[in-house]
Amino acid sequence: MEGKVINSSKTDTAVLDNMLIVSSSPHIRSNESVKRIMLDVVIALIPAIIGSVYFFGINALKLILISIASSIFFEATIQKLFKKEITINDYSAVITGILIAFNLPANAPWWIPVIGSAFGIIVVKQFFGGLGSNFMNPALASRAMLLASWPTIMSSFVSPGPDAVTAATPLSIMKYGMADAGASATVAEAGASLPAVKDMFIGNIGGALGETSALLLLIGAAYLIIRKVISWKTPFAYLATTFVMLLVLGVETEHLMYHMLGGGLILGAFYMATDYSSSPVTPMGQLIFGIGAGVLTALIRIKGGFPEGVSYSILLMNVATPLIEKFTSPKVFGEVK
Amino acid sequence: MNETLKLGLILLLITVISAGVLAVSNNITAERIAEADKIANEQAQKEIVAEADEFRTLDENKLKEIQNANSNILEISEAYSNGTLVGYTIKSVSSGYGGDVVMITGFSLAGKITGMKVLNHSETPGLGANSTKSYFSDSFKNKSVTNELYASKNPSGESEVQALTSATITTNAVLAGVNAAREVFVSKLVN
Amino acid sequence: MKLSKVFYNGLIKDNPIFVQLIGMCSVLAVTTSAVNSVAMGLSVIVVLVGSNLVISLLRNVIPDKIRIPAFVVVIATFVTIIEMFMKAYAPSIYQSLGLFIPLIVVNCIILARAEAFASKNGVVASVVDGLGMGLGYTMALLILGSLREIIGAGSIFGKSLFGPGFQPALIFIMPPGAFILLGILIGIFNNIRRKKASSEI
Repeated sequence: MEGKVINSSKTDTAVLDNMLIVSSSPHIRSNESVKRIMLDVVIALIPAIIGSVYFFGINALKLILISIASSIFFEATIQKLFKKEITINDYSAVITGILIAFNLPANAPWWIPVIGSAFGIIVVKQFFGGLGSNFMNPALASRAMLLASWPTIMSSFVSPGPDAVTAATPLSIMKYGMADAGASATVAEAGASLPAVKDMFIGNIGGALGETSALLLLIGAAYLIIRKVISWKTPFAYLATTFVMLLVLGVETEHLMYHMLGGGLILGAFYMATDYSSSPVTPMGQLIFGIGAGVLTALIRIKGGFPEGVSYSILLMNVATPLIEKFTSPKVFGEVK
Repeated sequence: MNETLKLGLILLLITVISAGVLAVSNNITAERIAEADKIANEQAQKEIVAEADEFRTLDENKLKEIQNANSNILEISEAYSNGTLVGYTIKSVSSGYGGDVVMITGFSLAGKITGMKVLNHSETPGLGANSTKSYFSDSFKNKSVTNELYASKNPSGESEVQALTSATITTNAVLAGVNAAREVFVSKLVN
Repeated sequence: MKLSKVFYNGLIKDNPIFVQLIGMCSVLAVTTSAVNSVAMGLSVIVVLVGSNLVISLLRNVIPDKIRIPAFVVVIATFVTIIEMFMKAYAPSIYQSLGLFIPLIVVNCIILARAEAFASKNGVVASVVDGLGMGLGYTMALLILGSLREIIGAGSIFGKSLFGPGFQPALIFIMPPGAFILLGILIGIFNNIRRKKASSEI
């Protein structure tokens, strides 16, 4: 087939739009498109959104809406500034907005999601090439940036209910509060006791907006797996490895359930670690990604200085993804070296 | 060999001139540097034992004895007011979040902590770095030396100091250093 | 070569930080406040001018084979002098700049200018080059340091800007913030430079 002369002064997307590719029939039409996939993720997140508003009240709704609106706004603005095509209608900014909000405590001020989405969309996503080219999960990178910039705001979580009463999260109780009184009787952990496991599952606990309800997150995750938007490999490898590593590091068995259901583990495993552009494409790679993230999460939670390790683990594995892909890419047979 | 010799000699010349210039600079500045160090040290000490007007470093042998038993202790000074011993300042070090934390604690003979100051640290700005703020160090003033100190969000008791929000490791590091100094003070005071 | 051109080169066209991208380590580490940036910038200017001057004076005396060790000795001497005087007369700045003063010795900019310019040009031109590059460096430091201090600490030159209710974005006082801001500044600087260059044609 004759190669078509490509005018390289136009942007790549414009060239592809104009290229006419002819191949012989039969053709199968698929319903897939970027928009379709993104919409599926939004649908999967809706139960958790409803849950967060149920548990944390109007503050939750406010933060989520502000986050979505800012994400869309910043994406449109920066794409206009860089004279690129505006792609906000592919819903990817909406997802980033929701996920950023899910990482915030319910009593965060309004400007936190604004700055978070500015960072995630502009610096992490658009600076590096836009959708499909981000090397890190934008929502998690935003969370890391917000945590580094406003540590007190980002680490004081509230318990569910109409009044925003600061409470310790189950993870921080296990890390700090179980020591003898006086050793580190700081913040609200001293004397706090772990909630019932049932509460952990439904979500009636203190924590960030989107991470508390394991049940609602799992419903959404099941939808995504059934719709084949995400693969089961990474989340299951992640969860299984975390479980095993926690055992290896000596966590008491009654605490294991709290570790698995608490913090951002379920949110991260199903919704963040599966981000297409920042995680491996190869099946083996996806397993390795999950295993690596699991090891890191357990290490940070138990041996590290923070009660929660999910965001840093996933970000570190994001950065390792190109290497993982290099070593797990399938062999091409018949290639002349 | 002639060329190597020539190269060597030129290099020697350059370095000798350098050394000479540096020696002159050193002469000009050395005294001032020593002064500045001494003043900074004394200033910190005055801050934490306000009533004292003179500080004398503890006898070398006694310091070595104490340091052998307790490696966190860096320096000890006796604080005098009008020639009478009124207390001690003890400089100690402990492991913080980002590195060593060096602090100096003042003790009065009456058995109270007269002050605490964090001199050096590598803690996170906004979190552990707040250990240099007055709301933290002031909470050490007037605490009793009878028991080990601990931290809480709203300190009220005689052995309670302010905890740094979201900086448990830094708080514990300062507590470790101050408690080590307290230990030395209490066991030395008995002498 | 016209002196003004030499100067302009160091300041804008071949700005060591924004264009040549050398000497970056100190830029990222020292710009935690505007005061530190100015202090570091001034130190580098003094060392750069001094070493350029001496190396240019000695350019016919220093044999080619040992020029690198000779340059390093000259640079190290100037840095040590600066260090001693700073320790004696400005101890608080000495404390905050810390390790980065002796690191000026291995700052790429100084060795690069010694090798690329001072060893090949006359004394006056070398001094002007040192001034230009040094000022270019200081300008970059000052911009980055001021931005980091304003956003990350809510103050400028130690003077609080926004009052006690302002919660600064601490990340900008930390290394990640430095990298991100520096990247953005390099992009903006080169964009302006490119536009100016194309409009001059």
